[in-house]
Amino acid sequence: MTNTIVKSAAMALLATVAIPAVSLAQSVPLIIGMSTTPTTLDPHEDSSAPNNATSRHIWDSLIDLTGTSANEPELATEWKAVDPTHWEFKLREGVKFHDGSTFDAQDVIASLLRARDKPSQGFASYTRNIVNVTAKDPLTVVVETSVPDPLLLNSVSRIRIISADCAEAPVQDFDNGKCAIGTGAYVFSSFSPGDRLVLKRNEDYFAGASHWSDVTLRFLPDDGARLASLLSNEIDIIEALPADGMARVEESSDLQVINGQSSRFVYIGMDVSKDVSPFVKASDGSALDRNPLKDERVRRAILMAINRPAIVERVMQKNGTVADQFVAKGYMGHSDAVEPVGYDPAAAKALLAEAGYPEGFRLTLHGPSGRYVKDSEVVQAVGQMLARIGIQTQVEVQPWSMYSDAYANGDFSMFLGSWGVNTGETTNPTVALVATRDEEKGTGRYNGGGISDAKIDEVLAKASSTLDEAERLPLLEELSKLTFDKLWLLPMHYENVVLGAKASVRYTPRGDKYTLAYFVEPAQ
Amino acid sequence: MAVSLIRRLIQAIFVILAMTVIVFVGVNVIGNPVDILINPDANQAERLRVIAHYGLDQPLWKQYMLFLQGLVHGDFGNSFVYGRPALSLILERLPATLELAISALLIAIVIGLPLGLYAGLYPNRISSRLIMSGSILGFSLPTFWVGLMLIMVFAVELRWLPTNGRGATAEFLGAQWSFLTRNGLSHLLLPAFNLALFKTSLILRLTRAGVQEVLPQDYIKFARAKGLSERRIVFVHVLKNLMIPLVTIIGLEFGSLIAFSVVTESIFAWPGMGKLIIDSINLLDRPVIVAYLMMMVILFVGLNFIIDVCYTLLDPRVRLDAKA
Repeated sequence: MTNTIVKSAAMALLATVAIPAVSLAQSVPLIIGMSTTPTTLDPHEDSSAPNNATSRHIWDSLIDLTGTSANEPELATEWKAVDPTHWEFKLREGVKFHDGSTFDAQDVIASLLRARDKPSQGFASYTRNIVNVTAKDPLTVVVETSVPDPLLLNSVSRIRIISADCAEAPVQDFDNGKCAIGTGAYVFSSFSPGDRLVLKRNEDYFAGASHWSDVTLRFLPDDGARLASLLSNEIDIIEALPADGMARVEESSDLQVINGQSSRFVYIGMDVSKDVSPFVKASDGSALDRNPLKDERVRRAILMAINRPAIVERVMQKNGTVADQFVAKGYMGHSDAVEPVGYDPAAAKALLAEAGYPEGFRLTLHGPSGRYVKDSEVVQAVGQMLARIGIQTQVEVQPWSMYSDAYANGDFSMFLGSWGVNTGETTNPTVALVATRDEEKGTGRYNGGGISDAKIDEVLAKASSTLDEAERLPLLEELSKLTFDKLWLLPMHYENVVLGAKASVRYTPRGDKYTLAYFVEPAQ
Repeated sequence: MAVSLIRRLIQAIFVILAMTVIVFVGVNVIGNPVDILINPDANQAERLRVIAHYGLDQPLWKQYMLFLQGLVHGDFGNSFVYGRPALSLILERLPATLELAISALLIAIVIGLPLGLYAGLYPNRISSRLIMSGSILGFSLPTFWVGLMLIMVFAVELRWLPTNGRGATAEFLGAQWSFLTRNGLSHLLLPAFNLALFKTSLILRLTRAGVQEVLPQDYIKFARAKGLSERRIVFVHVLKNLMIPLVTIIGLEFGSLIAFSVVTESIFAWPGMGKLIIDSINLLDRPVIVAYLMMMVILFVGLNFIIDVCYTLLDPRVRLDAKA
C-alpha cells in the first residue's frame, strides 16, 4: 500500500518535471482508415474524392473549402472581382514549402495552369473558364476568366498549389515523393499505393502545427477489413462505418459512432419526355399508349407512396437523412418555399386514380449496386412500396460500370440516381440533372429523364453568370422550387457521413465526406 | 529437347496472341470507361478531349494495332486511372502477391504432404480418419468466411496478430518484402494461412490417394520382399511415384494463387495484384486489365512448361523430345 503511494507520488513528481520535455518529442500518432483508395498523389491528375481528400493533407489551396462548402482564406488572404472577368488574389506572406523554398505567385500560376492543361482533364470542369493567370507582383495573382464565373472561388479551392519546380513533373514523381512537396499541414514520408500514405507533422505550418505528430492514411475499401481494424484498436478513426458493425461500436465504451450529413443527394429520376417509355406497361402487361410518368400527379403519387423515413431509418440503418430538395438547410439555394411531400399511400392511390390509373401500371425500376449507401436495398424497398399502391414494380440492379452509361443516356423509365453537390449550391446539380440536354453548352449531361423546362433553363443561365451574391441567392432558391414543385426528380435522401472512431478523438464530419487529419482533435 | 522447346515457344506465342484478341475485344464490349473516369461536372467538349487523350476515338482495330505496336516494345500502355504505365503498376504489386502465394503454398505443402502420407499409409487409424474429415472442412468452408473468422478470433478478440495490411517491409532484390521483418511476418501469417487452407486439403487428399494407389503395386511388394527399410520404401519409392500428379497440381495451384487470390487480398487489405485487378475492372481501366490478363497467360504458359520439365526429372519415362 505504502509502496504504491510512494510510487504514484514519484510518478506524479516525475510527470510534472518531465512534461515540457516530453511533449516536445512526444509521438502522437493518428491512423485514419479511408474507405476509398486514391489512385495517385499527383493532385492535378484526377479530381476524385479520395484523391482530393488525400492531397489536402500535403497541399493547400488558395481558398479553403470548409465542411459546409464555404470559402475561407488559406494561401490567399483576400480576394475580389476587379471586373466581371478578373479576380485578384492577395497571397499569404512567408509561407514555405516543405523543402524550404518560399511560396509565391509563380507557384500559383504553375499550379492553376497545370491543373487546366493536364491531358487527363481531371479538373477541366473547374478550370474551363480560366483564360489566363498572371502575377501582378510576387504576392498578387490575377485570374482572368472567359465569362463571368460565380463559381470561380469554389473551383480555385479545389486546385492544390504545388511548387513551380514540379510543374512539369510526371505522376510518378508525386507517387515516389520527389514532388510530394506542399505547404500543407503534413510532410510526405512514404506512399505505398493501394495500402497506405505515411505523413509527418509540418512543424512550420502557417495555420499552426497539427496536434498529431505522425499521420497514416490507410486505404481499406473492404468493409470487413476496415471494421476489424477499428475493433482491434489498430486504427483511430474509420470512414463509412459498415451498418453491420454499428451495434458493436455503439456497445463498446472505447469506441463511438460519429454521424453527420453529407451533401450527396439521392433521387429517383423518371422518363418524362418519351411518349412511350420502354419499361412502363399497363397492369395486364400490354403496351401503354402514353407515358404515365409525364403526368405530374403520377410522380406525386409515387413519391407519396414511398415511406422515406422508414427507408432512412431501417433500410439504410440511419445512414441517411430524408431530403426534399437538392441541398439541406444551411447550404446556398435551399428554399423554404419547397413543400415537403409526406408519406400517404391512401392519398397516393386516390391521386393515381384521378390521373387515370385506378388499376396502376407496371414498371421496372433500375438501380446501381454498390455505388451509393445501400443502393440496391433502397430500390428494392421502393419497389415493394410502389406495389402497395398498385404499381407493379420490378427491380433491376446493375454494376456501376454498366449502369453509369445507361442511366445518363436515358435508357431507363425510372432509376435511382445521385449527385454529390460539391459546390454546396444549387446550380451545380441543376446543370447536370435537370437542365435541358445541350451538348454544346454542356448542360443536362446526367438528365436521364429528358427533363426540359424552359423556366429552369432561363433561371439557371441567369444564376450562372451573376457574380453578386445578394442577387444570385434568390435565383438559386428558385431553382430548387422550380425543380421540386413539379417533382422533375423525386427527392429521396442525403447520405450521411458515418464514421467509427475511438472515444479518444473528436471529429466533425464534412459535407464532402473527406476525413482530414488536421481537423481530428483529441477528446480531452 | 531444344526442338521441342522452340516448338513450345512458338505455341506459347500463338496462345498469347490469341489471348490479346479475346481480351482486347472482351474489355471493349463492357461499358464505357470515360463515363466512369470523367468528372461528372465535365461538359461535352471536355469529354471529347478525354476520349481523344485515351485514344478511344479510334476504331477498335486501330486501337488494337496501336496496342500490338506498343506490346512489341514491352509497353502495355498507360493506365487510365493511375496515369502511369500499366505494366509497372502491376509489377509494383507483384512482390506482395508473390510472397503471399509462396508462403501459402509452403504452408500447404508442409502441412498437407506429411499428413496425406500418414493418412495414406495408415488409413484405418482414428487419427487418419480425423485428418481426412478435417480436410473436408478445408475444402468446403468458403475462403472469405474463414478469413473473417481468423480476423475476428486472432486479431479482434485475442489481439495476437494484426487485422490486415502488409506491415513493415524490407528491401531485397530491389523490391519491398514483408517476410523479412518481424512485423511484416506477423501481418503475413493470417492471410497466408487463409489462402493455404484449401490448398492444404487438396494436397493432403491427393497425397493420400496417391499413396493408396502406389502401395499395392508390384514394385512396392518387391521392395518389401527385397527387405528394404520401410523408410526407404516410403520416401523413395512411394513418394517419388506420387510426385507426378502432385507437381502438376502444385504448379497449377501456384498459378491460381497468384492470379486469383483476390478474396483474401481484399479481406486482409493486402496490396497485391488481385486487389489491383478488381479495382481496375470496377473502374474499367482497360490497359491494366489487358496487361494483367496478358501476364497471367504468360505465367500459366510458363508454369506449364516448368511442370513439364519437372516431369522429366521425376520420371525417366517422360521425355520432352519423345515422339507423341
